[in-house]
Amino acid sequence: MQRQATGKVFLVGAGPGDPGLLTMRARERIEQADVVVYDRLVGEAILELIPQGTTRIAAGKACGKHSMRQEEINELLVSLAFRGRRVVRLKGGDPFVFGRGSEEALYLRRHGIPFEVVPGVTAALACTAYAGIPLTHRGLSRAVHLVTGHFRDDQPLRIDWQRLADPEATLVIYMGLGNLETLARGLIDAGLPAETPAAAIERGTTLDQQVVRAPLEQLPARVQAALLRPPVLVVIGRTVAFSERLDWFVPEAPPEAWQDEIGAHTAR
Amino acid sequence: MKYLPLFLLTSERPALVAGAGRVARRKAEFVLRAGQRVRMVAPGPFPAALHWARARGMLEYRQGNVEEADLEGVGLVFAATDDREVNARLARWARQRGLHVNVADRPEEGTFIVPSVLDRDPVLVAVSTGGTSPVLARRLRARLESLIPSAYGRLARLLDAYRERARARIPDEAARRRFWEALIDGPVSELVFAGQEARARLEIETALERAQGARPEGEVYLVGAGPGDPDLLTFRALRLMQQADVVVYDRLVSKPILEMTRQDAELYYVGKQKDDHAVPQEGINQMLVDLARQGKRVLRLKGGDPFVFGRGGEEIETLAEHGIPFQVVPGITAASGCAAYAGIPLTHRDYAQSCIFVTGHLKDGSLDLNWEALVQPRQTVVFYMGLTGIGVISERLIAHGMSPDMPAALVEQGTTPNQRVLIGTVATLPEIVHRAEVRAPTLTIVGEVVRLHEKLEWYQAEEHRPGTVFSSH
Repeated sequence: MQRQATGKVFLVGAGPGDPGLLTMRARERIEQADVVVYDRLVGEAILELIPQGTTRIAAGKACGKHSMRQEEINELLVSLAFRGRRVVRLKGGDPFVFGRGSEEALYLRRHGIPFEVVPGVTAALACTAYAGIPLTHRGLSRAVHLVTGHFRDDQPLRIDWQRLADPEATLVIYMGLGNLETLARGLIDAGLPAETPAAAIERGTTLDQQVVRAPLEQLPARVQAALLRPPVLVVIGRTVAFSERLDWFVPEAPPEAWQDEIGAHTAR
Repeated sequence: MKYLPLFLLTSERPALVAGAGRVARRKAEFVLRAGQRVRMVAPGPFPAALHWARARGMLEYRQGNVEEADLEGVGLVFAATDDREVNARLARWARQRGLHVNVADRPEEGTFIVPSVLDRDPVLVAVSTGGTSPVLARRLRARLESLIPSAYGRLARLLDAYRERARARIPDEAARRRFWEALIDGPVSELVFAGQEARARLEIETALERAQGARPEGEVYLVGAGPGDPDLLTFRALRLMQQADVVVYDRLVSKPILEMTRQDAELYYVGKQKDDHAVPQEGINQMLVDLARQGKRVLRLKGGDPFVFGRGGEEIETLAEHGIPFQVVPGITAASGCAAYAGIPLTHRDYAQSCIFVTGHLKDGSLDLNWEALVQPRQTVVFYMGLTGIGVISERLIAHGMSPDMPAALVEQGTTPNQRVLIGTVATLPEIVHRAEVRAPTLTIVGEVVRLHEKLEWYQAEEHRPGTVFSSH
């Protein structure tokens, strides 16, 4: 019996949610895949692009259901590739920015499986663009700092507040909803002005995008009042002040409304 | 390009096809399908497979060896016999008479080649690989097949029926183009594809009634073109690129990407090269306002992401002040693109729990950065545009306590076929830049994650410019 050729794994960033922000390379890889292993953060609109007949495997947790551990995902990718499959490992945002894509890539390399990395538009860039927040701006922000507000296995936050409390940088916190109160307090105690403009963006770039803007000190309360739910990106820094003026993204009318309009025309 | 892509009007004069074998029959069918007559000459008996064409008077057949006289009155020539000599002779006669000739299996001996065609009459998509690989051309055609359903032909015919009325109703050309775009992107296409042509007509009628003759409002699209590889463009970026009337771009936008903008769009280069401020920032801001005021759809195309060291904020601020509508399309920023293609993750549970982007662009010979923050452990620091300041970067980081052995990488022309990755340490960076003659655009990545490059490298640049490892000792 002939040995099956080893497949390949494509670590693909799906971007933040708007399917228009998928790269051409990502779409091509999805269309050519035998199997797509996807995360919870990959939006429905993007999953719809997976051709019929392509196997789909959900790796992320869907409310309450058991989710695969990282080790299980690594194993799965290796075993699929050993069976000769072209596997797309589809991740929200960018695989190399808080995506644990590097762990998967290292595991594949250890097993001699060829892989490719397709970068995606990471949430920090996408959600801010759609909320009208420049990440850098002359005289206001000279650096962008990306951090995660959530640690593995619910370990307590170990953050060096001093380093993050830089008034001349824009701080972007991924998964910052759960620890927002602690984050805001820590930054203010470390010297970041309490009135620093801040925003929390839920489901950025999608039709359900919601932006809550407030001075840093008030942000946790305002976010709670607005009942934001994950995924939420938190942005803190002087450039956030632009958001109100530069807000341009109006989620387009959902398809149902559009259907109604067609119906109305024909009824006449 | 070696070939000029054209669609020829079918003519009264028949096409001469020499030969009657499989290849010759395919050429004849190709011509017949377009509705042009064929004169076929071959020594053997008439191929029965073409009987249908002869019965309709579309094909005349002469049994015998092809002669110069067979070229009398023809418009196009296909030399498709299985005899190379005969084909070459026929090609010579044809060229002497100024006739275009195709030579089977020997494209270089003829004057034209035949594309692989996706036929959605009146929509035609012709694919050519310039004669290099007919199999690849057929594969591409098959992919287009699934992309362009057969209903596109019906859609084109339907739109054609309204052309005159649209011209009368909307005299302004730019306005008319937008009218059609809105219809094609909107419900009309969907209705035609769903077989509901009557509803599609109604939709067009309504749109025509509502149409304003006046030139519409201008708009600015601030679009990130990504790090260089054109395949890293987003679909939204691509759509706006093909829609814009004017393109305002700077140096970091690569040529292959620029070529993907609408063919008849006006292009404005606004520089931004170091020491070449072709147009100062205020000038660019004003230019965008002016162009949009003229009713144009302006594509402001920037390398990477417009909001990360792209000064996109300043541009849209000016637009907002003038009440000009705009949208922002984020792109893959250089840090993401280079990290992926160089196999250097920006974060990793053991090495880096955060990541900082800063610009290494010198101002009056120094860098205004928060060095304290940059030398902290367990983070990745990415310097954009850091080449000229590389000496300052190296020296300042070490002076603020970073270990001179901290791994560092230079990614030159990341994600492109010319990508070069140079690995060293924060102390050796200036020396590497000097010795390896590193040129802009180059991204500098500093942090423990750089160690992973060795294990995670996967992208093979086309040009053989292997990266080099410079160790500190």
